[in-house]
Amino acid sequence: MPPPAASARYPSPSQPSGKSEVTDLKSQLRQLAGSRAPGVDDSKRDLFKKVISYMTIGIDVSSVFGEMVMCSATSDIVLKKMCYLYVGNYAKGNPDLSLLTINFLQRDCKDEDPMIRGLALRSLCSLRVPNLVEYLLGPLGSGLKDNNSYVRTIAVTGVLKLYHISASTCIDAEFPATLKSLMLHDSDAQVVANCLAALQEIWSLEASHSEEACREKESLLSKPLIYYFLNRIKEFNEWAQCLILELAVKYVPSDSNDIFDIMNLLEDRLQHANGAVVLATVKVFLQLTLSMTDVHQQVYERIKSPLLTLVSSGSPEQSYAILSHLHLLVVRAPFIFASDYKHFYCQYNEPSYVKKLKLEMLTAIANESNTYEIVTELCEYAANVDIEIARESIRAVGKIALQQYDVNAIVDRLLQFLEMEKDYVTAETLVLVKDLLRKHPQWSHDCISVVGGISSKNIQEPKAKAALIWMLGEYAQDMSDAPYILENLIENWEEEHSAEVRLHLLTAAMKCFFKRAPETQKALGIALAAGIADFHQDVHDRALFYYRVLQYDVHVAERVVSPPQQAVSAFADTQSSEIKDRIFDEFNSLSVIYQKPSYMFTDKEHRGPFEFSDELGNIPITPEASSEIVPAQQYEANDKDLLLSTDEKDDNKGLSSNNGSAYTAPYESSNISSQMQELAISGPAASATTTQSSFDFDDLLGLGLSTASVPTPSPPLLKLNPRASLDPRAFQQKWRQLPISSTQEYSVNPQGIAALTVPQSLIKHMQSHSIHCIASGGQSPNFKFFFFAQKEAEPSDYLTECIINSSSAKAQIKVKADEQSTSQAFATVFETALSKFGMP
Amino acid sequence: MNRLFVCFHGNGRRKQASNQGEGITRQSCDSIRREMLQCIFLLSDSGEVMLEKQLTGHRVDRSICAWFWDQPDSFKSLPVIASPTHYLFQIVRDGITFLACTQVEMPPLMAIEFLCRVADVLSDYLGGLNEDLVKDNFIIVYELLDEMIDNGFPLTTEPNILREMIAPPNLVSKMLSVVTGNASNVSDTLPSGAGSCVPWRPTDPKYSSNEVYVDLVEEMDAIVNRDGELVKCEVYGEVQMSSQLTGFPDLTLSFANPSVLEDMRFHPCVRFRPWESHQVLSFVPPDGQFKLMSYRVKKLKNTPLYVKPQITSDSGTCRVSVLVGIRSDPGKTIESITLSFQLPHCVSSADLSSNHGTVTILSNKICTWTIGRIPSDKTPCLSGTLALETGLERLHVYPTFKVGFKIMGIALSGLRIEKLDLKTIPPRLYKGFRAQTRAGEFDVRL
Repeated sequence: MPPPAASARYPSPSQPSGKSEVTDLKSQLRQLAGSRAPGVDDSKRDLFKKVISYMTIGIDVSSVFGEMVMCSATSDIVLKKMCYLYVGNYAKGNPDLSLLTINFLQRDCKDEDPMIRGLALRSLCSLRVPNLVEYLLGPLGSGLKDNNSYVRTIAVTGVLKLYHISASTCIDAEFPATLKSLMLHDSDAQVVANCLAALQEIWSLEASHSEEACREKESLLSKPLIYYFLNRIKEFNEWAQCLILELAVKYVPSDSNDIFDIMNLLEDRLQHANGAVVLATVKVFLQLTLSMTDVHQQVYERIKSPLLTLVSSGSPEQSYAILSHLHLLVVRAPFIFASDYKHFYCQYNEPSYVKKLKLEMLTAIANESNTYEIVTELCEYAANVDIEIARESIRAVGKIALQQYDVNAIVDRLLQFLEMEKDYVTAETLVLVKDLLRKHPQWSHDCISVVGGISSKNIQEPKAKAALIWMLGEYAQDMSDAPYILENLIENWEEEHSAEVRLHLLTAAMKCFFKRAPETQKALGIALAAGIADFHQDVHDRALFYYRVLQYDVHVAERVVSPPQQAVSAFADTQSSEIKDRIFDEFNSLSVIYQKPSYMFTDKEHRGPFEFSDELGNIPITPEASSEIVPAQQYEANDKDLLLSTDEKDDNKGLSSNNGSAYTAPYESSNISSQMQELAISGPAASATTTQSSFDFDDLLGLGLSTASVPTPSPPLLKLNPRASLDPRAFQQKWRQLPISSTQEYSVNPQGIAALTVPQSLIKHMQSHSIHCIASGGQSPNFKFFFFAQKEAEPSDYLTECIINSSSAKAQIKVKADEQSTSQAFATVFETALSKFGMP
Repeated sequence: MNRLFVCFHGNGRRKQASNQGEGITRQSCDSIRREMLQCIFLLSDSGEVMLEKQLTGHRVDRSICAWFWDQPDSFKSLPVIASPTHYLFQIVRDGITFLACTQVEMPPLMAIEFLCRVADVLSDYLGGLNEDLVKDNFIIVYELLDEMIDNGFPLTTEPNILREMIAPPNLVSKMLSVVTGNASNVSDTLPSGAGSCVPWRPTDPKYSSNEVYVDLVEEMDAIVNRDGELVKCEVYGEVQMSSQLTGFPDLTLSFANPSVLEDMRFHPCVRFRPWESHQVLSFVPPDGQFKLMSYRVKKLKNTPLYVKPQITSDSGTCRVSVLVGIRSDPGKTIESITLSFQLPHCVSSADLSSNHGTVTILSNKICTWTIGRIPSDKTPCLSGTLALETGLERLHVYPTFKVGFKIMGIALSGLRIEKLDLKTIPPRLYKGFRAQTRAGEFDVRL
């Protein structure tokens, strides 16, 4: 038979005009439908291809549904596949027509060719038309019994699809039981793997309302079953291996022999060519050994080289995923990777997302032995053609300088950057020099002499300008022309667009004034006048505040604005250790890539991660707000530590919010609140003497000092079971699974600290309050305890991690609870108990 | 670093003994596995959706591609992206973006690794990857995806198995001309799987002549820093094989000096124990071409070539001279030597020439010097001047020179194959061995 139209044989790839073309196709298909002439399949193929190509580019070809179905009565497998594809795409929209489809799909399910049987069954289950589920049962049932494993594999997945269309139909047909027996007895590994995947999902979803499903779900994690899978893991394909490894992660081993058995079984998986298998294995190893510190350490050593190999042998995308995970491990155990620093050297051609992670890695593993090489390497990147990487490298050098004790060589390097006369290099370096001076004021002499030589005209970036101005104010006595540079800058007040810079100008002018009053007086006057007239609220407020404090008493003003310098001992880490732990628990998941635990970005279905990051960036300044947002509380706690040691709050924020994650909220959004905090913090030093002043400090104080000073409303007292018990494994399991319900920091009274010389005494003390210790450790000054308690008359547990630092007399506690609602009450009980420690 | 060592107390264990029932009441809140990948898109280099494959009941609207394409480049290039509604995984191969979407937590590497496999398989099937190839063969692509992933979970990605289920495009047309309109041409060989525990090998291939080739393919990665110091020099190598052997061959490959190898990764066919105990690769090979193992040899002392760049700048012009020569003779000819570098943006014009080979400067300021082989009578030298933008006195941003070379017949790591044994020797067996080394990431910084 001749083809109906020449044009159909050679479909033009150009854009079809739409409707008329579709109508054309329709009539052509109709002509072919009944034909049995030789070569008709060829013509059909061309037409089908055309239909599907339209579908692919987004043209609606659902109107030829009927004709497609009619034409699909063929034995040509490629035609069948095209038809299945088409039907799968449009069946949902045409439930009436899909009844037609069912007919021929059901017939195909009985075809003698196993491939057609399989494909037809897959398409049948993929139709997902709810009112047609009854037609699925027969084909699925026989598919599960098919003698060809390809068909069985598809049937098993089909059961899962059926479950999602109609759970009750699936359960009533007792498919889960069939799957279970297939899982245990089928000879084909892929069938077994698909059974496992399907059963995991079905039973997890059923578990909420069925006792039996709950038991079945638990039984998947039973020892015989786990070993059944692990012993034959090599028979499975790589993806199924991932599935089994993920199951193994949830398994709670009975004893250490069990742990070693599993690790021995899985050790060669670490050398698998598929990175996903390697990473899943690594997760099993890490989770299994969490409680065995020294073995855990050995695990790090063991997994190190496979991971490093993966980084350097895969595509950049794979490297990125692996590096994100390595980053987590490196941060947890930098010393293990310290000698492998060369793995993280950046090659010129790597994409910048890989380079950025490598820079973070180099920063994390820098220690006494390798700092010199690492910094030398980083300095080469500063001259890199890629400006963003050059900047990141300089920041990395700065971070290393801040985390090291011996910064001698690094300071020289940093100062050399200033000689490169590249504006962005200078800008980044100035910010770093400022941070460095805040931590190591002893370097001021060397730094200031170099910084003094930089012309402020060459610096445009607000952050760098602010840093320079801060140094001018702070070291006004060492820089002979500081007042004049400031004066110059103040005279150009109107041209200064950044509020941050103007705020710093005000403060620097004040500081300079206290040190060199006669030279600065005029400039300060201009600055305050310009500031008070400033349209920016913060600038205006600060200028007015300075003005009034000066008016009240110059000495008080000096104590407020320019208190004696105190070196910052440690800058706030961007992530609390709690968050890091959570991410670690979620190893081999998206959390690692985002550097955030999943509860911060996945809980709400339609909520993008952007919204969450906004919450993170906004430091709540009222207690009500903070009580809702756990991560924000964490940040706030960190911020307070900082505030105690520095009066330059906003700089610090800039440093700490700059963790390289793509999802950090823009820094600007938190500016206002941090400014307020800064004011508030300047307050306490002065409040004693300025209470009568016209300026009401109390308001500011109340605003700035949030949770810590506001007493928590006392919740109803909680009764604890004095004879509670929990075995360590169950504790570990729970600790891994439960979210943190509360994190607190308390001061421990001096008597308590004294009594802590015998850590056992705390354990006894807490026990007398029905809070039991399950594990403890540490050496002075850091002690770590794990406690648990149980609600009276109810099997509801509270787990607590308590870290006490005896030198700072602080206790940090983290509470996890079965019942979130009473966790606050428990925290209160815990605090009360702890506060009585050491008391007679 | 403050490490807190935690030990379990004895009393905890006692409690466990007295209260066995405790563990059962624990709630487990392990996450529910849902379909993993929900949809795969193939985008052309202009952002056009070439192909869309929905994998689950949760349809992903293709508007997500438009959203993705509109993101700023620095964000869009990330392999894992969170869109307002989905997590996106992407890899880019030859201008084609493979984009996968999911709404649930899943191992990111699994998604990326899977996409890499899809790209490999497609390029294998289509004989390369580009927009036209994908568009012309989209039916094949659909067929492949259909077998590679079901309900969002990866299924079969082994090329040898796929090849049996879906004939590659040229074969399809060939077959069609022979058996027009006939029943499925592949169903007879549908991998039965049952009874076979070698998922990577077809059931019973038959060849009239049996051939097996082993290639050592190595890439040298090196960094020479500004002081001319070799800060990193290592070789990444692969043992690539091509096997056409009848039946169920059992092979053993041994090296003369396996101790140089580090960080090995093996094809699933390699048995782990013989390697552990004797450093011998024992395996039943897949049919056709495959990568048997990859390895790394670290801390090499020397690169075969040296590159000595020098730049001096003076009042707005820079004098450049780069010398390239043989540092340690590998014993075989070093071929295809190239040197390329990006001229800094502040260079307004460049006048570079060489005494050997050709120098080209592209409009994007990438300068490539093609040297070929090192002549015996002179040292290749690139020299000339760079004019800087007005106002600049000196050069502050320095280029990195990327070195390329190829050496046939030798593995620079020093790894040598000792022998390849077959347990049962088939008739007309031919074994072949080759080696080559080329430059991987060989950076010389200035």
